[in-house]
Amino acid sequence: MMAKSEIELKNFFIFSSSYESKEGEEYNKVLYYYPPTDDINTQVNNVGLVEAIIKFTGNFKPSGPLNSLHTLKKRQLYFEPEPNYWMVITINLPFINKGSNESTVVEYIEEDVHDTIYKAVLKQAYAMYRLFSGTYTSTEREYSITALRNKFEHFYTAYLKTLNLSNCDILNVFSGIHFLPLDKQNFLNVQCFINALECNYPIIEYVSFLFNDSLIWSGIEPDDTQIIYQYLISTLLPANIETELQGGSIPRNPSSPFASLHYGRFITGPTNLKTAHTIGKVPKIFLNNEANPSVYYFIVYRALNATICLFVNGGVDLTVELFKELDAFMGQRLSSIASDIGEYCTRSIIPPSSSDTSPRFIYFNKLNLAYKSTIHLDNRQSGNVSCGKELVQIMADMNSRKESLSFAGETIVKTMNDYWVVGKVSNLREFYVALQHKNASLIDISDEVKKICDTELKGIFFHPM
Amino acid sequence: MNSSKDPFLELSERPVRFEAVNQVTNVFFDDSNKQVFAVRSGGTMGVVVKGPTEDAPPINFRMEDRGPVISIKFSLDQSILAVQRTKTSVEFMIFNGNIIEGEFSQGCKKNTAILGFVWTQTNEVALITDHGVELYLLIPEKKLVKHLKTTTTVIQWFVWCPTNKIALLASSHGSHLQPVVFKPGTISKLAKVETEPGRMTLERDVTLATLYEIPAILILRHQSGPQTAEVHIHMLNGPGQAPVRSHILRLNLTGRFAINVVDDLILVHHQASKTSQVYDISLSDESDGTVTYHKSVTLPRSLKPTTLPVPGLVEPQSHECELYSPNWVVFQPNIVIDAKLGCLWHIKLCLTTLCSQITDLALCTQLALKRTTGKSVLLQLLLDHILLPKPSLFKLQESFNHINSVYRIWAEAEIQMQTASPVSAPPPSKPPAPPRVLISQSDIYYNILQKLMNNDEHLQNLEWALTCYITSLSEYCIPTELLLNELLIKTLVQRHKFTALMQLLQYGIVADSKPLACLLLSLGNLHPSASQLAMDMLVRLSANEEIQEVLISQGQLLSAFKFSQETATPRKFLQAAENLKDPILFHSMLYCFRSNHQYDNSFLQDERLHSFIKHYRTLFPEKAIGDR
Repeated sequence: MMAKSEIELKNFFIFSSSYESKEGEEYNKVLYYYPPTDDINTQVNNVGLVEAIIKFTGNFKPSGPLNSLHTLKKRQLYFEPEPNYWMVITINLPFINKGSNESTVVEYIEEDVHDTIYKAVLKQAYAMYRLFSGTYTSTEREYSITALRNKFEHFYTAYLKTLNLSNCDILNVFSGIHFLPLDKQNFLNVQCFINALECNYPIIEYVSFLFNDSLIWSGIEPDDTQIIYQYLISTLLPANIETELQGGSIPRNPSSPFASLHYGRFITGPTNLKTAHTIGKVPKIFLNNEANPSVYYFIVYRALNATICLFVNGGVDLTVELFKELDAFMGQRLSSIASDIGEYCTRSIIPPSSSDTSPRFIYFNKLNLAYKSTIHLDNRQSGNVSCGKELVQIMADMNSRKESLSFAGETIVKTMNDYWVVGKVSNLREFYVALQHKNASLIDISDEVKKICDTELKGIFFHPM
Repeated sequence: MNSSKDPFLELSERPVRFEAVNQVTNVFFDDSNKQVFAVRSGGTMGVVVKGPTEDAPPINFRMEDRGPVISIKFSLDQSILAVQRTKTSVEFMIFNGNIIEGEFSQGCKKNTAILGFVWTQTNEVALITDHGVELYLLIPEKKLVKHLKTTTTVIQWFVWCPTNKIALLASSHGSHLQPVVFKPGTISKLAKVETEPGRMTLERDVTLATLYEIPAILILRHQSGPQTAEVHIHMLNGPGQAPVRSHILRLNLTGRFAINVVDDLILVHHQASKTSQVYDISLSDESDGTVTYHKSVTLPRSLKPTTLPVPGLVEPQSHECELYSPNWVVFQPNIVIDAKLGCLWHIKLCLTTLCSQITDLALCTQLALKRTTGKSVLLQLLLDHILLPKPSLFKLQESFNHINSVYRIWAEAEIQMQTASPVSAPPPSKPPAPPRVLISQSDIYYNILQKLMNNDEHLQNLEWALTCYITSLSEYCIPTELLLNELLIKTLVQRHKFTALMQLLQYGIVADSKPLACLLLSLGNLHPSASQLAMDMLVRLSANEEIQEVLISQGQLLSAFKFSQETATPRKFLQAAENLKDPILFHSMLYCFRSNHQYDNSFLQDERLHSFIKHYRTLFPEKAIGDR
């Protein structure tokens, strides 16, 4: 078996096409460029080439803006998040060295790189910046182009380090939210707790509630929830759980074993309330960017496995007293809610069957952005998958062609190694199943998928096939 | 609301007026019939009987003066008047409503002295002497008295409870308290009241009352030293009605007290401070396992001042009555008599004011749930709380929990009554008494939630309250009614909180039903998720016909047809296909129906279908599908 090279980032840059530059000053167009090791000429050339391609293809007035450029060794994707700001990512295609030692032929595997997936990576890179700093236009308008450059430098250099292109898959396209399956009573308890919080502290405009990596409630709009969810589970919470595991930081109540336990603490804000004199680091974020951008403090509080995000009106002054009050209000209550939910989860969740041959599926609902995957073993995009990567690739292929199915349809694919991949689209939901079944007929597979739908997605309407 | 100092107890507006005590007039009160007797000159100048209310017509008669009256009482049916003038006998006079028609008398046993007498039945009277209780049957037609039973025991004083027909007999200076219960023709002793050994009790410190349908003995205990007084309550609900000390009221005061009971609330009046405190033994409080120690539910408050109209020279004037006057005598359950003033009042409780002074909503709810007039007060109280700018939602939920707990217990009992039992089983006992305050979902809806619906400013509070209520219902496993589910959806839609609504639906907070699915479908144009969730709901309800209709209305004819292959109506589908102006779809539909034998027959039977064949010919002139 020949080793396949990994998908690699060739470069990533942002440029402004509105910037009228004189000859010799083209580098002014470049707002951000990665890798910094590329010299300025290469940077200017790359940007110039992209701009030329965009302008050239624009002449043909295609139905939409230019999406991507496929070459033998590379793939380039374009995204114009705001007028005249272009984000570009260039990816080295993976390749295999074929043949004997003397006559090696390099074969580039184009089908491993899906436009939809890496376009989604670009969009996410944009959305993450916008969450913390607002739109590109507003940064430039309110500060200056230099400030925008500095912010890009500061933000994207760190961001790109966390990006692992080879683990990107169909989940990036969905960038969905995993909702915790929960019973009515526990959900209502969460709801009442949030209501009481909002009622007591009107400066808290929205609240989101997570348990482990799963969302239970979000008061903000789904597209904002989506990006905050990504940030929490991929960046903020993993970093925090590590410090938790190192121990010591969970305050306990040793004074009385009968007192209700209080495990709560702030993840953003003062870390130790007893000694805090300042409120510590509380990020400000921009929500509702499409319609009416507003700034909020993003306060994250955690007790046991429950995480609560408070979106506080950015216009107020936060004080240590407020944090102390909030801690007193939430600590015990959140701890007890979290332990109730934990108890429910251990009681009701059956561990997924570990057998390799059992069917695996991915479900996504475009309307509430909910996804569920038995293929991915965690929600963190660690590349930890329970079935062959090529099956997930097929799903991504199906996903990129789903437009042809209109509101409902089904695609069934059989692989060379007796795997079947079934993609269903219905009522704005997508459902992909991978199963291994030797000597099966289409009817067998269809029945099997029907069975999985009945057990896993009970009470959901699927168009009859 | 600034009613925190308003009095919550008041005297009845129209007291029973009687001639005040003076040199010639003596006044007696019979607590069985709640009548006041004003006896002028031993009866020769007339006896006026009034009560139990001012509206009852007074009775006037005269009787011979045979010495000073010690006690005077009508029998329970007002046909015999019993008068005690000596320590050894009681006279009985047959009374026809106007005059005395005949009389006879009964003496007690030799060497005993009568402490008092009580009417135990319509025609039975008990003489309580210092040596025991003698029960007699009266036969007025023959002017005969027949001895029924005698219980021998030393008695120093006694207290009588006419409602429960229980007398508490005291000896050894009240350190020995013996309750006896009277039944027709007989007397039975109950277990004696367990008190601290040797602890003496005065007659005026003992009250017999009924609390929550259970007879109770209330004993006021003055403490020595810095401790304040307490009321010890012995409930007669042990085995064989044995008294059990189960509650202690902490008065936090010392001095003279009087006790009344109104609507099962215990009122303790304190003369020195001229205030009254209220206790409810049904509230949970500090307990040592057998005895619960109760605090007053509010701070002590005075009775509401009251006046009496007095004739003036020019126009009537009013006289301010002295409250907590030394001339007051208190009778059970809620009677206050001022003999000098000639007034008999009933104490009334203003529950609204009382509740407004209890700051804890949950406590207040528990209290109101046990009151006969609690329902409207409680509903108003909840509404007021919800309308606060920052209502305490935790307290609100606690309050709803108390309400739903009562509802759940009642509903379970109801279901048990309705479930068929085997023929051999004993017939069900009488249906359970409904709780004093039963608040259903429609009560909450019409009295609270609906009032918040039409004001945009209240919508936020409405949403909070509704979620609290639904959470509480869920906790008590009471299914939420459609009314509330609809309101929840409408409120969230009005507040443009679609995301929140979708999450609530996702977690099954709103129970599936066809009307709700239709409501969601109608919201589909506001938010696409609504129609998706509506379709899911219809699937769970197996409402195939509705799903078919929805799919047709969305132009998804093929899906609709696949969904209901057996029951499709060709006309409906063809009409929809024609309206969609999609010739290929129309072709497919028509072809599908014509190639199926079952459906093809309907083309022969239903002439209306012919128009579609004509339409087909205009679309595809070269084809000839309709011709056979």
